[in-house]
Amino acid sequence: MCVHLVTNSSLASGVDVFQNAVFAIHSLPFLPVIEWLFIFLPIIFHAVVGIWIARSGHSNLNRYRLAGNRRYTWQRITGYIAFVFIFTHVFHLHGWFHADWWLKTVAEPIGMAQFDPYNAASSLANAMNSLGILWPIFYALGVLACVFHLANGIWTAGITWGLWLTPNAQARASYVCLGFGILLGLVGLTATGAATRTDPAAAKATEDQMYKVRVEGLMIKPNEHKRTDGRRHGHSSEASPGPTLIIPQAVTGSR
Amino acid sequence: MAKNRVLVVGGGLAGLSATMKLAELGIPVDLVSLTPVKRSHSVCAQGGINSVNDLTRQQGDDEWKHFDDTIYGGDFLQNQPPVKEMAYWAPKVIDLMDRLGVTFNRTPEGFIDRRRFGGTLYKRTAFAGATTGQQLLYALDEQVRRHEAAGLVKKYEFWDFLGPVLDDTGRCVGAVAQDMVSMEIRSFPADAVVVATGGCGLVYGRSTMSVFCTGSAASRCFQAGAKYANGEFIQVHPTAIPGADKLRLMSESARGEGGRVWVPRKPNDPRAPKDIPESERYYFLEERFPKYGNLVPRDIATREIFNICVNEGLSVDPTRMCVYLDLTHIPRAELDRKLGGILEIYEKFQGVDPRDEPMKIFPAVHYSMGGLWVDYEANGEGGLLPGSPRNQSTNIPGLYAIGECDYQYHGANRLGANSLLSCIFSGLFVGPGIVNWIQANKASADLPKSVFERAVSAQEARHKQLLSNRGGEGENPYLLHQELGDIMTRAATVVRYNNQLTDALAKVADMAERGKRCSLADSGNWTNQNVIFTKALQDMFPIAQCILEGALKRDESRGAHYKPDFSMPSLTSTDPAERRREAEQWCDAFDENTNKYLKTSVCSWQGDAPELEYEDVDTRLLAPRPRLYGLVGAEVIEQVWKERSETRSGQNSEKKLVGSAH
Amino acid sequence: MIAAGPEATSKRRPSKINVRVLRQDGPGLPPYWERHQVEYEPDMNVISVLQKIAAQARTSEGNAVAPVAWDCGCLEEVCGSCTMVINGRVRQSCSALVDRLLEDHPEEIELRPMTKFPVIRDLMVDRSRLFHSLKRVKAWVPVDGYFDMGAGPRISRDEQEQNYPLSQCMSCGCCLEACPQFNKVELQRNPGESDEEFAARKEAAYSVEFVGPHAISQAVLFNSHPVGKNLERERMEALTSSGGVQACGNAQNCVAVCPKEIPLTTSIARAGRAATVYAFKKLFDR
Repeated sequence: MCVHLVTNSSLASGVDVFQNAVFAIHSLPFLPVIEWLFIFLPIIFHAVVGIWIARSGHSNLNRYRLAGNRRYTWQRITGYIAFVFIFTHVFHLHGWFHADWWLKTVAEPIGMAQFDPYNAASSLANAMNSLGILWPIFYALGVLACVFHLANGIWTAGITWGLWLTPNAQARASYVCLGFGILLGLVGLTATGAATRTDPAAAKATEDQMYKVRVEGLMIKPNEHKRTDGRRHGHSSEASPGPTLIIPQAVTGSR
Repeated sequence: MAKNRVLVVGGGLAGLSATMKLAELGIPVDLVSLTPVKRSHSVCAQGGINSVNDLTRQQGDDEWKHFDDTIYGGDFLQNQPPVKEMAYWAPKVIDLMDRLGVTFNRTPEGFIDRRRFGGTLYKRTAFAGATTGQQLLYALDEQVRRHEAAGLVKKYEFWDFLGPVLDDTGRCVGAVAQDMVSMEIRSFPADAVVVATGGCGLVYGRSTMSVFCTGSAASRCFQAGAKYANGEFIQVHPTAIPGADKLRLMSESARGEGGRVWVPRKPNDPRAPKDIPESERYYFLEERFPKYGNLVPRDIATREIFNICVNEGLSVDPTRMCVYLDLTHIPRAELDRKLGGILEIYEKFQGVDPRDEPMKIFPAVHYSMGGLWVDYEANGEGGLLPGSPRNQSTNIPGLYAIGECDYQYHGANRLGANSLLSCIFSGLFVGPGIVNWIQANKASADLPKSVFERAVSAQEARHKQLLSNRGGEGENPYLLHQELGDIMTRAATVVRYNNQLTDALAKVADMAERGKRCSLADSGNWTNQNVIFTKALQDMFPIAQCILEGALKRDESRGAHYKPDFSMPSLTSTDPAERRREAEQWCDAFDENTNKYLKTSVCSWQGDAPELEYEDVDTRLLAPRPRLYGLVGAEVIEQVWKERSETRSGQNSEKKLVGSAH
Repeated sequence: MIAAGPEATSKRRPSKINVRVLRQDGPGLPPYWERHQVEYEPDMNVISVLQKIAAQARTSEGNAVAPVAWDCGCLEEVCGSCTMVINGRVRQSCSALVDRLLEDHPEEIELRPMTKFPVIRDLMVDRSRLFHSLKRVKAWVPVDGYFDMGAGPRISRDEQEQNYPLSQCMSCGCCLEACPQFNKVELQRNPGESDEEFAARKEAAYSVEFVGPHAISQAVLFNSHPVGKNLERERMEALTSSGGVQACGNAQNCVAVCPKEIPLTTSIARAGRAATVYAFKKLFDR
C-alpha cells in the first residue's frame, strides 16, 4: 500500500514520472502472478479474516468512551470502509478480471475498468473525473480509512506480537504510528489530488510519446491492450461511446 | 478407599489447605462454600504470617519463643500442645506457601522479607504487600483448582451448609446443604466432614468481617451436638473505619507513623476538625498514657476509644461513635511514602483525603478466638501426635473443625499475624488424621439411605415453614439482625458488665423466639437470599448466647475479655515495704484467679439455651504468669513473681513435662 | 443531637435517593426496571443502598416486592464478589460511594447486572466461566506436593514487584464486562440433562471462546515463576488456540476498568510476545 500510494503520488511530480513508474511495474515478469500472490490473495485473506474478527466483537463505545476503545471501534469501521473501497477501486480502474468479454459486457459499460497502464495518468484522470467530485471524495475517504487502518493496525499488531509491552512503550509506538499515518495520509491525498487535477489530453500526448520511444528503443514490447487508443478504439471493432464522451467532459471538468 | 469421600465446608485458608492436603493423600473431596472459594474472607487479612526464620534464629529466636509469645499473648488460655505444634510447623508452612508461588515481599538479595508485629521482639512476619491473606488464599485456590481439573475435588459454590448428618451411633456421616441458586436441598454422604467456616462477626451486626461470616455453620454443628468453647473471647481491633455497611480495618501503622487520636473537649462540637484550636482538643491517649502516647497496646487503645465515646459522650460524629485519627500534621510526601496504600483505602471508601482531614475511626469486632471445641492428641514432647484422628475432631466423631471456627490456637487474645498461620496449619495437619479415621470406620456410602433422607426432610421442613411466613406481621429479619448487632456490640465487646450481660442474655433469648416468627418478603424458590439470610440469622442466636453466657460467668479480665469490676488492681502504696506487701497480695490473688478461671468455657446446646461447663487448660509446657503491661507497680510484682516461680520450679522440675494426659 | 451546621448545608444532601434496578426473576426471563427509594445517610455506598432495599422490600410506588438479589462478600474491594454495572459502568458496588455517584448523576442511581454473564437473578450473574478460564491456562504452580521440601526458589525484588500486581487479580470480571471481544455465552439446560452433562456442555462452550484478559495475565504470572514455568508450553498452547491471546482487539478497556489497576495490557503484550516466540519455536524447533 505504501509503494502503491508513493507511486501514485509521483503523479504530482509530473505525468512522465508517474508513467515511468508504471512502465517499471509493468516491466516485471509474471506481473499477474505477482499481483495475485502478493496483493490480491493477501487482501482477500485479510478481508475475510478481518470481517470474521470484526464480527467476533461488539463495540461498547457508547458506554466506555475511552481512547483505546475509540481506536478499537474505528479500526473496525475503517476496515469495512477499506474493504468496500479496495474492491470498488480495483473494479473501477482494473475491472477485476482481464477477460475481454467481462470488460466489454460488464465492467466498461458501467464505467469501470478505466485504467490503461500505458496511458496511466490520462486514463486515471479521466476515471477520477467521470462522476463530478464523487470519485475524488470516495478516493480521499477510502485512502484515509486505509491509512488509519494500516497505522493503527501496525500499533495493535505490535501489541499482539509483543513488540511494545508497557503502557509507556505503547504510547511511544503510538506516536510513531501516528506520525507514519499522517505522512502516509498526506501522500495518499497528494496522489488523489494529483490524479484529479491532471489534464488528460496533455498527459495522453506525453504518454503516447513515451510509449513510442520505448517501443522503438526495444525497451518494451508493443501492447495495444494496455493503451487507451488500442483498447478502446483500434483494438475493438465496436467502440463504445463511453470513453470518447468522457474525455471532453473530464477536460472541462478539470479546468 | 475408593468410594470414600470427605466433605469440606468452607473455602478459606483452612478449608482450602485441608482440601489440597486430602487430595494429595488421594481422598476425593466435596468442597461446599457459600461463595466461590476465591472470595472467602481470608482475602481480607492484610498484615502477614508469622514464623521463626533464619534471621531471627541468629538473633536468639526459636520455635519455642514463638510458642511462648503465642501462649503469653493468649493469656495462657490455650491448650499448649496444638500451639507448640503450630509454632514448630510455622517455618515449614511459609516454605510451602513460598513454593506455591505466593508473592511474598523480598529482600534485595531475594529472600523473603519480614516485618515486626505486635507481641514479639523479632521480625517474624512474612508479608505480601498489604494483602497477605489474599495472596495466600489465591495460592491455595490455585492448587485446589489444579486438583479440581484433575477430577479429585468437586466444588459446590453458592451452597449453604445446613447441618451435619449423624447416624444412629452419633457419628457424623455427611452433611445436608442447600444450593443457594436453585434452592435444592440435598445430602452429601461423607466419611468425615471438615468445618472450616471462619468467624462469627455478623453476630455483632457490623464488624471487619465479610458478609458470610455469620457463624451459622458452626452454630448448626453446635445445635447438632458439637461443643462450642471460649465464645466470649472476641478480638476488637482499635482502629476501623466505620461504614454504613461494614467496618473496614485501618492498620495500626497509621499510629506508628505519628497519627494522633483526639476528640473535641466540648461534646457535640459542630465545628470542622481543622477549625478546632489545639487547646480545645483532647488528645486523650497522650494525656492518659504519657509514656506510650498513641501507641498503647491494642486492647488499651480499644478500651479508651470506646470509653471516650460511650461513657464520656465525646464522639465526634452526632450520628455514630468515632474519634479522630489525625495525620494532617505530617507532610503529604512523607504520608504518601510511608502510608500510601492504607490511606488510599480510607480515601476510596470515605471519599475524604486523610492527608487533609482527620480520619474518623472506631474499634470494631475483628476475630473470634473461640469456636467449636476440638480435641487433640499430644505426643511425648508436648506437641501433637501426627496422624491422630483425634486432632481437630469435635466431640461428634467424624466432624472436624479447623481455622477460625475452632477455638484452639489463640486463647484469650490472638497475636497479630498468627491467624493465617493457624488456619493453614490446622488445614494441613488435619488431613492425615482424617485418612486414619476413614480407614478405621465403615464407609458412609454403605449406610442405609434413610439416614440421609431423614436429615434432608428435616431441613426441607424448616425451609418450607420459613417460606410460608410470607408478608404479614412477622419480624423483618434484616431489622432483627441490626437489633441483635446493637445489643451484642453494647454488651459484649470491649468492656463488659454483668448487669448489661444479664440484660443482653434475656433480650437475645427473646429475640431468638422472635426470630422464629420472621416473615419473608420473598417466598419464591429461586435464588432466595431472603430465606438464606433468615436461616443464618436464626442460627446466630445460639452463638450470641454462648458469647454472652461465657462472658457473664467469667468474672475476671483475661485477654480480650475485660471486666472492670473484676480486674486486678494496680499497686497504690508508695512506701517500698508496703508496696512489697501489696505485690505479694497481688500475686496471691493472681494465683487464686488462675485456679478459678484459667479454664476453657465449654457450651453445649440444650435445645433453647447453652449450658456452660469449665474444662481445665493443658498447661503442661508453660506455667501461667501475669501480664503486667501498663500496670502501676509492675516491677515489684514481677520481682515477687520471679522469686516465687524460682522456688516452684525447684520443687517441680522433675514433674514439669509429665503433666496430665489429655 | 445537633445537626452538623454549616458543613451540612454547604453540601447538597438529598433526603432520599432514587435507585433504578434492572431486575430479572430468573434465567431466560424478561428483565424489567424497578424503582426504589431509600433514606439518604452520610458515607453510603451502593451495598448499603441495596441492604436498605432488601430490608424495606418495597418499590418507590409502595408495592411489596422480593428483595433485590445481589452478590457481595468482603465489602472492601478484595474479594471481587459485588461487580455490577452502576450508572452504565462496570465496577465494584462496595467502593461505589453514593455521594460521588450523586455528584455525577443527581437524579438517580442506575444498577444493572453485568451483561457478559448469564443472569441468575436480578444483579446476580453466573461467573463460573471466569474461573474456567483459569483452568484453561493452568494458572497454578505444579509443585510435587505439600510435604516439607524446604524453601521455594529465590525471587528477586524486581520479579516480586512485577508479579505482585498481577497476583492481586480478584476475578471480579470487570475487565471481561468492558471487553468488546468477550461475548456472553448463555446455554439453557436441555430437557432431561443431568447436572454433570449440563456442566460439561457449558465447559465445552467456554473452552473455545475468548479466555479474557484476567486469564492471560495469570498465564503470564505463572510463566514467570521459576517452577510455574514448567507448564509454559501447555499455557502457550492454550493461549495460541481458539479464544487465545490473538482474540484480543486491543481496545484496552480492561486496564481502564480494572479496580486493582492491574497492568492487563502489558500482560497481554507479554503473552503476545511469548506466543510469537512459541509459534516460531513450534514451527522450527520441533
